[in-house]
Amino acid sequence: MTGVTLSRWTMSYFAAALAALIAAECLMAAGYGYPAAAIGAPETLVLVHIVALGWLSLLMCGALFQFVPVMIAKPLYSNMLPLPTLACLLAGLAALLLGFLQLAGVVTQGAPLLAIGAVLLGLGFSLVLWNLGRTLWAARPLPLPSHFVIVGLCSIGATAIFGIVFAFVLSGVTAYPHLVDVATMGLPIHIIAGLGGWLTFTAIGVSYRLLAMFMLAPELKGPTTRGAFYAGASALALIIIGGATAICLHGSLTVILSIGGLLGLAAMALYGTDILHLYRARKRRKIELNSRMAAVALGNFAATAALIIILLVFGALERNIAAVVFFVAFGWLSGLGLSKLYKIVAFLTWLECYGPVLGKTATPRVQDLVVEHRAIRWFVLYFLGVWSATAALLLAQPSAFRVAVAVMLVATAGIIVQLVRTRRLADVQAALRLPAGVRQPRLLFSWNNLPERKPT
Amino acid sequence: MTTFVELDVRPILRAGGEPFEQILNTVNALKPGEGLRLLATFKPTPLLHVLGSKGFTHEAKEIGGGDWEVQFSPSGAPATNAANPAKPATATADDSVWPEPVQHLDNRDLDPPEPMVRIMAATESLAPGEVLSAFLCREPIFLFPELAKRGHSWRGGFESDGTTYKVLVRVNPTKGASA
Repeated sequence: MTGVTLSRWTMSYFAAALAALIAAECLMAAGYGYPAAAIGAPETLVLVHIVALGWLSLLMCGALFQFVPVMIAKPLYSNMLPLPTLACLLAGLAALLLGFLQLAGVVTQGAPLLAIGAVLLGLGFSLVLWNLGRTLWAARPLPLPSHFVIVGLCSIGATAIFGIVFAFVLSGVTAYPHLVDVATMGLPIHIIAGLGGWLTFTAIGVSYRLLAMFMLAPELKGPTTRGAFYAGASALALIIIGGATAICLHGSLTVILSIGGLLGLAAMALYGTDILHLYRARKRRKIELNSRMAAVALGNFAATAALIIILLVFGALERNIAAVVFFVAFGWLSGLGLSKLYKIVAFLTWLECYGPVLGKTATPRVQDLVVEHRAIRWFVLYFLGVWSATAALLLAQPSAFRVAVAVMLVATAGIIVQLVRTRRLADVQAALRLPAGVRQPRLLFSWNNLPERKPT
Repeated sequence: MTTFVELDVRPILRAGGEPFEQILNTVNALKPGEGLRLLATFKPTPLLHVLGSKGFTHEAKEIGGGDWEVQFSPSGAPATNAANPAKPATATADDSVWPEPVQHLDNRDLDPPEPMVRIMAATESLAPGEVLSAFLCREPIFLFPELAKRGHSWRGGFESDGTTYKVLVRVNPTKGASA
C-alpha cells in the first residue's frame, strides 16, 4: 500500500516517440519508402522501424513505466533505469536505421551496423523487461489485465530475438542454416509478434484498466476477459513458437498462421464485447475527449478485422498487406496512443504540479489544463488522414497517399502543440497557474518529491 | 516447524465489526516461533503489510465461498518499521488504536481525481491526530504518496462487497508543529 509515484522519465519517452512519429510522417509525405519503394526495400524498412520502434515502442515503454505500477498498485522497481534504457534503445534504433541504409548503399561504412543496432536494441528491451519484470514479480498474485502485459513483454522478447537473427544473417555475421531459414521465412512471425503481441496485446491489457479508470466503469475479470486472454495468448504462442519450429523442421507455416489467425480473431471479438460493455456500463455519462477518440481507434481495430476477412474472401490479403499493417499502426495503435497521451500528459502534469498543494490552496482541475474543443479538430483531421491514406494504399494511389499522410502530419503537429501547452500549463488561468509551492513542470522529466525507494 | 494459533474473524466481519485490534492483540501474544492462521471473508491486504513490517511472511489462499486463509509465519528477520525514516507515518509503521472518524466522505461516484482532491482538502481542515474515513470505487494509489508527503497515516482495504474501497486517514499528529 505504498501507492504509486510519478515515473520520472516517462515524459522523455513520450517526447522521443512523438519526434519519431513526426519524422516517419515527413518521410511518407515526401514519398520515401513504400509505396514508391518495394515493400521489402531498405527504405521501407527504415520507415517501418521508425514507426514500430521509435514511435510505438517508446510510447508503450514510457506508458508502461507509469501504468504497470498503477495496474498492480506497487511502485516501479527502478525509477532510474528507464533513462539508460532509453539511451540504449535510441542508439540501437539509430544503428539499425544506418544498417538499413547500408543495405541500400547510401551508407558505405563497413561496420556490421545492423548487428550492432540489433544487439543494442536487445539490450535496451532486456532492461525494460528486467525493470517491469521485477516490478510485476514483487506484486504476485497479479490482476488479469497485467497478464496481457506479461504476454506482451514476452512478445517483445520474441520480436527482438527474430530481429537479431535477421540482422546477424543480413550483415553476414552468421550463415548457420536454421538461422538463414528463419531469416528468409520468419518475417510474418516478427511482424505478428511485434504489432500483434507486443503492441496490440499490451495496449489491450492497459486499455482494460485505463478505460475503466477514466470512465468510472467496473473492472472486468469475467469469462469474456479471460477468454480474450487465453485465445490471444495461445494465438501468439502458436504463431511464435509453432512458427519457429515449423520453419526449422520445414513444416507448413501457412497452417500455423491460419490457426493462429482464427484464434486471434476470436480474441478480438471477445475483447470487442468487453469494450462495448465498458462503454455501456460506465457511470460517467459525459465522457472526455480521450475516451471518445479512443473509441474511434477501437472502431478502427474492429474495422481491421473486417478488412482482413474481406481481403481473405477476395484472395487479396497478400497484395494489400501493406495497407492492413498501415491501418493497424496508425488507425488503431497510434490513434489509441495519441488519444490516451492527451489524457495521461494532463493527468500526470496535474498530479506533479498540484498534488503537493491540494487542499491548501485553490488548484485547477485536470480538465483546466486542456482545451478539448481546440484539440478535437486535430484528432478529427488525424483520423480523416488515416482513413484516406489507407484507402489510397488499397486503391494503389501513391500521390493521394502522400497528400493524406501530409494531412496526418499537420494533425499530429497540432496534437503535439496541445500536449506541450498542457505540459507548460499554458491553458490554465493565470491566477491559478502557479500558487505558492508549485513548480513549473519540465517538458522532459517529472519532479518526484519522494525520496527514491531502494529496491529490495 | 511453525505452530499456528488460529483466529477466525469471519463472524466479526459478517456482523460489520472491525477485527483489526483483536488480530494485533493475538499477534502480540504469540510466543517466539509461533505463527497466526487467520480466516477472513476477504483477502486482508492491508494486514499483510502491517504484519510484514512486524517480521511476518504470509501465505494467502482462497478457501471457497470468497473466504481466505492466511498463514503468517515469523520470518526470523527483525521488523523493519524504522528502516525508512523518510516516510515517518505510513500504514506500515502505525498499529496503534485510532480514534473514531470525525468525518466521512462518500467519493464513489466522483470523477477521478476528484476523490483525492476532496480527501486532501478534508485533511487540511481536520485537527492533528483526527481521523477521516472515505468510500472510494478503487484503491487510491496516487493518493498514498501525497498523504505520506504530509505525514498523514492511512489504512484501507476493500469492503466485503469487493467493490467499495474504504480508507481511513489519520491526520499527522504533529501537523503544524513544524510549520
